[in-house]
Amino acid sequence: MHEMSVAMEIARIAEEKLGDQAPMLCTVAVELGDDSGLEAGSLEFCLEAVFLAPPFTGAKPEILRRPGDVLQLAYLEIDDGR
Amino acid sequence: MAVRTIEVRERVMARNDELAGAVRGRLAAHGVTALNLVSSPGAGKTFLLEKTLAALGEELDIAVVTGDVQTQNDADRLARHTTRLVQAVVTGGACHLDALQVSAALDAIDLDRTRLLFIENVGNLVCPASWDLGELHKVVLFTVTEGEDKPLKYPKMFQNSRYAVLTKTDLLPYVPFDVALAKANALQVNASLEFFELSATTGAGMDAWFEFLRSIVKQGAGV
Repeated sequence: MHEMSVAMEIARIAEEKLGDQAPMLCTVAVELGDDSGLEAGSLEFCLEAVFLAPPFTGAKPEILRRPGDVLQLAYLEIDDGR
Repeated sequence: MAVRTIEVRERVMARNDELAGAVRGRLAAHGVTALNLVSSPGAGKTFLLEKTLAALGEELDIAVVTGDVQTQNDADRLARHTTRLVQAVVTGGACHLDALQVSAALDAIDLDRTRLLFIENVGNLVCPASWDLGELHKVVLFTVTEGEDKPLKYPKMFQNSRYAVLTKTDLLPYVPFDVALAKANALQVNASLEFFELSATTGAGMDAWFEFLRSIVKQGAGV
């Protein structure tokens, strides 16, 4: 139920990490534990919605299922067009 | 290759936990013991607090932060029972309180005149389990009109709580609720849970709750 709060926090961390490179973001990989209290499909939906807005234009979430209660932003992929 | 990978490996809850740590430090510096009351909507958090404030509000210098999705109804109800400050947080749709909201609410509370702080969370057995607010303990309420299997259905809340309060026990003659089974289910997900059984309406079991609050405040003050 709180997937949207989590999605917005993930976007905040991503923006903090990327700064000016935020518009180049193409993939957001999140490690999600089975006991984290979050529903994977719902989190994916929320992340897609959050990443429709600038500075992230159309970045795609990738949910990596894990055992336990881990919930972390694993890595970001940026496409710098070079 | 135009795509580059940036390793982050940062816990999503890290910032909340950092803020919760700051809240915890601030409360400790003022000798304030904080309990985070969590439950499904309607389990009786506000009513238990009303009775608690009436009995111990002055004795234990109780302050309350109460969170709701909308309205200040709970804060208004609680304010009738105490001259102590009741600070309302309207979450505007969010299903839980977070440490930032609690931190802001504390700015409005005179912590030097507070020994026991209740944080009345949003009624919800799922989401508030994931947010540390800087409390000493989470206290989960559940009521005899809910099923005995609530702890099995919502394990994280019961795992993250230190105490469980079974409320509305005055209704036990009218509902098919098995107290022993409910407790066994709760212990199955958290073997170290301690229980209170009470009715804030009749007062049954309230003395044990009050004694617990007195003792936990005493411990917090290092007495």
